[in-house]
Amino acid sequence: MIKSRKLMLATAAALALSATGAAAERGADGQLNILYWQAVSVLNPFLSGGTKDVEGSSLVLEPLARYDETGTMVPWLVEDIPTVENGGVSEDLTTITWKIKDGIKWSDGTPFTAEDVAFTAAYCMDESGGCQQAANFSDVASVEAVDPLTVKVTFAVPKPFPYGPFVGAQSPVLQKAQFQDCMGAAAPTCTEANFHPIGTGPFVVQDFKANDVVVFAANPEFRDPEKPAFSTVVFKGGGDAASAARSVLETGEFDYAWNLQVEPEILSQMEAAGRGELVSAFGTSVERFEVNMTDPDPALGDKRSTVEGGPHPFLTDPAVTKALSLAIDREILVEAGYGAAGQVTCNLVPAPEAYASTANDWCKTQDIEAANKLLDDAGWVAGSDGIREKDGVRLSMLYQTSTNSVRQGTQALIKQMWSEIGVETELRNVDASVFFGGDPASPDTFQKLYADVEMFTNNFDGTDPQSYLASWRCSEIPSPKNNWLGGNNPRYCSEEYDALFEELSKTAGIEQRAVIAKQLNDMLVEAGAIIPLIHRGGVSAHANSLGGVVMNEWDSELWNIADWHRVE
Amino acid sequence: MLDAATESAPLVRIQGLSKHFPIHAGLIRRQVGVISAVDRLTFDIRRGETLGLVGESGCGKSTAGRTILRLYEATEGAIIFDGTDIAGLSGEQLRRMRPRMQMIFQDPQACLNPRMTVGQIIAEPLDEHGSLSRADKRARVEELLDAVGMNKGFANRYPHEFSGGQRQRIGIARALALDPDFIVCDEPIAALDVSIQAQVVNLLEDLQERLGLTYLFISHDLSMVRHIADRVAVMYLGKMAELASRDALYHEPLHPYTRALLSAVPVADPKIEATRKRVILQGDVPSPANPPKGCRFCTRCPIAVDKCQWEVPEWREARPGHFVACHLAE
Amino acid sequence: MLTFTIRRLLLAIPTLLAISFIIFAILDLSPGDPTSQIPLTVPPEVREHIRTSLGLDEPFIVRYLLWLKQFFINEPLNILEEWTGYTFGDGDRLRISSWATRSPVVDLIVERLPQTLWVVGMSYVVGALIAIPIGVISAYKQYSWFDQVGTFVSMIGFSVPTFFTGLLLIVIFAVNLQWLPSIYDTTLRVTDWSSFVAQIKQMIMPTMVLALYNASQISRFMRASMLDNLNQDYVRTARAKGMKEKTVVLVHVLRNSLIPVVTVIALGVPQVFGGAIITEQIFKVNGLGQLLIIGIQGADIPLVQTLTFIFAVLIVLFNLVADILYGVLDPRIRYD
Repeated sequence: MIKSRKLMLATAAALALSATGAAAERGADGQLNILYWQAVSVLNPFLSGGTKDVEGSSLVLEPLARYDETGTMVPWLVEDIPTVENGGVSEDLTTITWKIKDGIKWSDGTPFTAEDVAFTAAYCMDESGGCQQAANFSDVASVEAVDPLTVKVTFAVPKPFPYGPFVGAQSPVLQKAQFQDCMGAAAPTCTEANFHPIGTGPFVVQDFKANDVVVFAANPEFRDPEKPAFSTVVFKGGGDAASAARSVLETGEFDYAWNLQVEPEILSQMEAAGRGELVSAFGTSVERFEVNMTDPDPALGDKRSTVEGGPHPFLTDPAVTKALSLAIDREILVEAGYGAAGQVTCNLVPAPEAYASTANDWCKTQDIEAANKLLDDAGWVAGSDGIREKDGVRLSMLYQTSTNSVRQGTQALIKQMWSEIGVETELRNVDASVFFGGDPASPDTFQKLYADVEMFTNNFDGTDPQSYLASWRCSEIPSPKNNWLGGNNPRYCSEEYDALFEELSKTAGIEQRAVIAKQLNDMLVEAGAIIPLIHRGGVSAHANSLGGVVMNEWDSELWNIADWHRVE
Repeated sequence: MLDAATESAPLVRIQGLSKHFPIHAGLIRRQVGVISAVDRLTFDIRRGETLGLVGESGCGKSTAGRTILRLYEATEGAIIFDGTDIAGLSGEQLRRMRPRMQMIFQDPQACLNPRMTVGQIIAEPLDEHGSLSRADKRARVEELLDAVGMNKGFANRYPHEFSGGQRQRIGIARALALDPDFIVCDEPIAALDVSIQAQVVNLLEDLQERLGLTYLFISHDLSMVRHIADRVAVMYLGKMAELASRDALYHEPLHPYTRALLSAVPVADPKIEATRKRVILQGDVPSPANPPKGCRFCTRCPIAVDKCQWEVPEWREARPGHFVACHLAE
Repeated sequence: MLTFTIRRLLLAIPTLLAISFIIFAILDLSPGDPTSQIPLTVPPEVREHIRTSLGLDEPFIVRYLLWLKQFFINEPLNILEEWTGYTFGDGDRLRISSWATRSPVVDLIVERLPQTLWVVGMSYVVGALIAIPIGVISAYKQYSWFDQVGTFVSMIGFSVPTFFTGLLLIVIFAVNLQWLPSIYDTTLRVTDWSSFVAQIKQMIMPTMVLALYNASQISRFMRASMLDNLNQDYVRTARAKGMKEKTVVLVHVLRNSLIPVVTVIALGVPQVFGGAIITEQIFKVNGLGQLLIIGIQGADIPLVQTLTFIFAVLIVLFNLVADILYGVLDPRIRYD
């Protein structure tokens, strides 16, 4: 199995190399205009984890390996992907050794070496620097340059999936010479370096206006002498998704626009103008309910929504959560709010293919009858007002999410669907900066979950869900004790789950890992802690005259910009 | 002086002069009526005389003064100024006549442009109508300031730096700048302190004597008019009630309204004052938008008869040089 | 006048200090967190490190005093160094740094000021230039068709929000007619005739959207002020003097009517510096308004704090300028 995978990688790499387009000369296609409606703030992705900043810097900074559009890892600056089979990963799963391709140069002409890679790790792992990608370096004990073209990462614990550091757009390599005085607390003071990083990518930063525009020029030292096809890239930011879509699809001022979260019908209307087309791709983002397994009753005071406050009066009943899930018509939600950017899903881990469970597919079609039957059988009977109750407990819920027109539309639809099974819903929305802000003093954060259910989207970087699934362990429950930090918003706690997770963290091999990940996924869904709704993808638009775009949700959308070119 | 004035030809002849203001109302501001502020006035102003024009506030005397100077457009009638009917003149022709007739306003503060110095205010018409050199202009300004009893050095100051009386002097100097023949004095002393009033009136009389000016002196102050005017005209609700020489009017008023007005003037002699009989008028002045059909005074007239209600009394010369508009005046 | 100015400037110091404290307190108390924009894949402990690296673990008063020091000592010294070339002390001072860009806030402001002054300033100038003649004619011909049309247009300009007029213009001129660009190219440098034309073209829509709004406002002031003055006795005097009608209106009435209008215009100048948040956002002009809104969305507190405070300074300053202008223009007013 591993062998076939390696073969596939090699083919993909070969394809990537041979896919040189029509233009055979660097810079022959002139200027490329890209519009991100969120402007780039800084070009050092370690100081800003925002997608716009990561993707903006991906034209310049490159990781050792990245993911292609199928989520497959491809070697980028290295000879191949280290595995246990090829000896790149040690048998005990604690080290990984990368072999850097010979002849790669920084844009200033100096050679790219293992020293730079080791430095990058030290830079991000310096605690006083506030590195936003530090999670990619978790459990890293040391990174050493064995020789100029060999770098060895040692982990403190066995890492069955050792591809955190230096893989994907979030974990590129910085030039040591440029950043060596910018370690730790000095990191933010290096404005020049943070605004004009030197990289190995197809482009170099020519001019950067923070929060506005970046002008890139073709990198004269780029390893492929025929690429990139464009001599300059104007990377403009600002405005809103609708106007970004308009500028590509209607006015034709831009060649590429990112993340077009616009009502589907407006988008298709714009696309009808015929100047450009929409492209979408699906990664791991899932719009889901996180269901409070603890009691959010305000009367509990400090114990509200904590394990100490006691279990939720009705959401701990799997019959109730299953009925809630069955009552939702996900097709309608996709149609109304997402269009091409959404698919029905019943899984927390919807992709890659190998990790997607099929055990919960019952939720894909709405079945009010079955939902009602479930509740009837569980003893929940409709009261005089049509709301079901049992032992004095009414199925009445507070449903919160962040403020966003699509989410409010979804809220209204779901409230209607749930009323059909005798569940009363009160809707609430919180400004996104507060909801996701994580301020421990605010009662409105998604971690506090002072509500019965909450809806938002989350995903995981790369293709391995281990760190993602780690969130729902007992130890990750947000509470006053840990200052409400922790990703286990449903306050789901199962020894079985924790034990299975331990197993995952020790298992190598995609197939075995996938089996365990699916089981973990199914446990969360079956327990009703998570009600998945929509598998969300990215939608971007490119002009008809722009060729070579391969939409990718696993890495930067601009991952293959070196291959982009003009078509007639 | 009275004799000399009566003999010469009139400087200004007013014939059937009316000024109506339209009343607009409603959403689209349609004209819904008129206010006849001045209604068919006919009288002469003789060269070199001072004609006093008296009446209650709102009777149209100021409007009459402004219409005569063409600051308002006359609705009908003729204004014959030194042989030329200026009622029909327009634009440039009218502007050329302007230097010969000037006006002094009631509020000396409001009539002086606050952003111009006294020198600029006085010199402005010289620029417009004359062609004096800079030095000559300056000399002329100083001469005028001197003529109205002001310090020459005041030319560079702004109007707000002066007292009311001084401002009125500036207003007078400004009016005199172009050597006018005729000046309409619109309540020139009403806004001034009593102590200053006499000074200004004396200045006006003095200037008249020296420069041979003709005044139309509009005032509601009967004693001041008696002091300055050669002849006196009385207006009521936009119409002329009576016009006569000062002595004739004050001693033998023919119109009941004039009698009522005069009876209200206090007399300095306590004996006469004690026996003075006041005619108290009943009611309010009717609205000029809707005046009585016959004699405009009939609603308040103590001696009105039926005829007064429906027939407008003719403006007639009841005695030589004594005009009146009353059916009952003999 | 000088003593008045100095006294007012001295009085401004405690006022501005109080304002800076209030702004700081409000921003600190307001919900929102600089890490809220970071993807949820970044785990909580990393977020904590980020907060610490931003200095958020210090108590409120320490952060406030630090900001004061940075704003009133470090930044001015830095500017002085750049101007004179001398280095004061060790020249290594902590400048106010934006959380989102990790670069000095003052540099961001300096980079954006020209666009704001060009686009918003131009719209203000154009607005005033349109408004004054309209106000004069409307007042001179009160209730004429011109006045009625002017009133109607300014009512529209005043009440229709700029995001609507902006979008309308984009749909007409950028999408349908394709005459003008809908996105402001902030990298354009005017070097020759064609780039100059491109600059004019991209400035037309944002400038006009704002100019319409400004013109409606100023023309109303102008009209009212003209009407006040047209009925004054000194205007009648001027006519009685036999001045030409043009002189009467343009010299006597207009000059006096401009006094309040000029002060209103002066009071509006801080808005120019403040930029036009919505218009700049719609046309993607990289001005100060856009910077502010990005700062607010990203809870970039040092940026928002510094920008808001600079606006406060400008407002206090231009209030003083308006007062002084009044004194200069109107001889009746003396500050002694």
